Amino acid sequence: MTALEIKDLSHYYVKGKNVLNDVSLELDKGEILSILGPSGCGKTTLLRIIAGLEKETSGSVHMNDQIISDHYHTVLTENRNIGLVVQERALFPHLTIISNVMFGVSGSKTERHSTAMRLLKLFRVDRYAYNYPNEISSGEQQRVAIARAMAPNPKILLMDEPFGTLDQSLTNQLRVETRKILKDNNITAIIVSHDFDDALSMSDKVIVIEDGTVIQSGSAKDITHISREKSVKFSSIKANT
Amino acid sequence: MRFSFWEITPVALFIIFVAPVAIVLFSLTGDYSENWSHLYQYVLTRYILNTAYLVAGVSILVTVVGVGTAWLVTNYNFTGKNIFEWALILPLAVPPYILAYTFTGLFDTFGTANNLIRDVFDLGREFTFFPKVRNVPGAIVVFSFTLYPYVYLVSRMAFINQSRTMLEAGRTLGLNKFQTFYKLGVPMIRPAIIGGLMLVIMETISDFGAVDHFAISTFTTGVFRTWFGMYDIETAKQLASLLLIFAVILILIERYSRRNASYSNAMSLYKPLSLTKLKGVPNTLAFLICFTPIFIGFLLPVMELFYWALNYKLDFFNDKFITTAWNTFYLALIAAFLCSVLAVIINFSIRYRGNNYLKVMSSFLTVGYAVPGLILAIGVMQMLTYFDHSFVSKFSNFVLTGSIIGLVLAYVIKSYALSSSTIESGYQRINSRVDDVARTLKTSGWALLAQVHLPLLKTSFLTSILLVVSEVIKELPATLILRPFNFDTLAVYTYIYAAEERMYDAAAPSIAIVMVGLIPIIILTRMIRTSRPASRD
Repeated sequence: MTALEIKDLSHYYVKGKNVLNDVSLELDKGEILSILGPSGCGKTTLLRIIAGLEKETSGSVHMNDQIISDHYHTVLTENRNIGLVVQERALFPHLTIISNVMFGVSGSKTERHSTAMRLLKLFRVDRYAYNYPNEISSGEQQRVAIARAMAPNPKILLMDEPFGTLDQSLTNQLRVETRKILKDNNITAIIVSHDFDDALSMSDKVIVIEDGTVIQSGSAKDITHISREKSVKFSSIKANT
Repeated sequence: MRFSFWEITPVALFIIFVAPVAIVLFSLTGDYSENWSHLYQYVLTRYILNTAYLVAGVSILVTVVGVGTAWLVTNYNFTGKNIFEWALILPLAVPPYILAYTFTGLFDTFGTANNLIRDVFDLGREFTFFPKVRNVPGAIVVFSFTLYPYVYLVSRMAFINQSRTMLEAGRTLGLNKFQTFYKLGVPMIRPAIIGGLMLVIMETISDFGAVDHFAISTFTTGVFRTWFGMYDIETAKQLASLLLIFAVILILIERYSRRNASYSNAMSLYKPLSLTKLKGVPNTLAFLICFTPIFIGFLLPVMELFYWALNYKLDFFNDKFITTAWNTFYLALIAAFLCSVLAVIINFSIRYRGNNYLKVMSSFLTVGYAVPGLILAIGVMQMLTYFDHSFVSKFSNFVLTGSIIGLVLAYVIKSYALSSSTIESGYQRINSRVDDVARTLKTSGWALLAQVHLPLLKTSFLTSILLVVSEVIKELPATLILRPFNFDTLAVYTYIYAAEERMYDAAAPSIAIVMVGLIPIIILTRMIRTSRPASRD
């Protein structure tokens, strides 16, 4: 079954200046997709449209073969069953780590607690369960943010520059850990990044966006090959970031 | 098209806030009575001239005092500098009418100051050392030394953000320290000064208590006289409309000056100012320049109030005082709570819906702070009278006009801007990505507000309540008009005693007003300290 399908999606904030042009993509259950591109290319907008935080100008978004957004329908963000991880982590500062992870989980308190604890253990941050976000490191915060997004068992996990503010060694470690957890739990995920290494080490599929248009798509291996051969422009932008 | 609670509430609030002002302005299109002709022929020129003299005099004095002291405490290190930094805001706790009462008590022919000098130098009763204060120059001094902190605050914030490199560039181009101040320092923060000055002028033209006590004919005293002396509400409204038009012009200037404020702040090139240590005569001069406004605007009135309270009325915490204080506090708390809740709802609506029309609507809601309390009171009174006659009179007369509803409504309209700006700045500290994540975790609308935003806005909410309480407690003209029968607040209690020249009895409520007025000053002081760019380095 197709977990996510986007058909001919375009979007603009100012008429005549499209942020996204006729973007189409398909993602199967359990697959990990990376959306690559330089800053301002429209990749975050695409993620926000999938999450329902923006309404596309035209085109459609389907999840599990059902329309969740097109000209006539809009399923609200809170009803899409999507997990979101952002670069800033956005942990709720007034809640403890365990309460953050329990936040979106339904069921009895005991069930919610055990779900949250299981995820915290999975990400090896269970010892901070009763600490507040400002009391743990940025790498630990990012683990908690991913755990929180996974806790309600979302159909798709969206990650916007998830390792953007972390140092290189921590990023490498988290990439490996996160991919393993996503694969072990058969979670469909989309990672938005401007970093080739994120895409190579984490995803099954990659699309490259430039000026709102998909310029390359394929498996991670294909993209690496094509990019090395052809995509000089994006590489130079990447080198500057 | 479906509208939700978050879209309808700002519109409803807008209608309620605008209606009283519209009622007053609408009077300009009605008939003009004989009283209007009388006012026009005999007193209108005096109202305009007196108001203009006051505005001109106060503007000059507050600019000199406010900007001068702000420059000194920001750029120099001198005796008492660390205390002056926050103490220069203290006069904000003293409403102009209380300074006016204490000034007359101090400087009248047989006031405390003249009596003291006669006693010390053994002079006769015919000897008067201080000039009369119940006149326009006296009022200029009163307004200037209670309102200069508005200019001081904005100037100080702007000077703090001024980069050392720009001022040093001036020095290398041959400017001395004083030239650097008036040729570079002041022009760079001109928009901020104008913004502060407009607030001062708004307060000056809206005042009733001080000018009434000094028997100076201005627009506000004229409106009162026309309404309660000539019993002509229509002409009073027409007169108030002129004042309102002037206030609207001031709002526009203030908004315009804020729009241009950015050029004074080049944060990317920011280097904190280094303080110059003053010694000898310059040190003494700087000390005196900063001490004088605090002495006149705060220490002197507070000392006089305590002198009255302790020497003449030791039992000032009587039943009357307690009842009045209770009335004041519960009214202020209701208004503050309403203001804060409305500010949260409106600011949440803007953030949640992100519509531009909600932003525009919200900025209209905040202009109530500039509408003189007197005008608001007339508009609210007329609106409630209409509702009483149209809907409620079948059951009983004066249900709305005889209640505290009008008073609370006027307070809310007048003080909403304080709450809104406090809650808005609280919201600016909450990353909008928190909302995005919360929504993906199935939390939206009321749940998002209650579970995520409110806990994070706790401090802003409390600050908003304190600011409104301290503002409402000082309010006089609207309270005088809208209070129910036999219902006094501390400000009214003070006004009535002062009007009867029973200054000693006015001491207790005045002290209570000043004490509560200190709350926002403590908050402001903390905010200034934490917002200082240098402290982030």
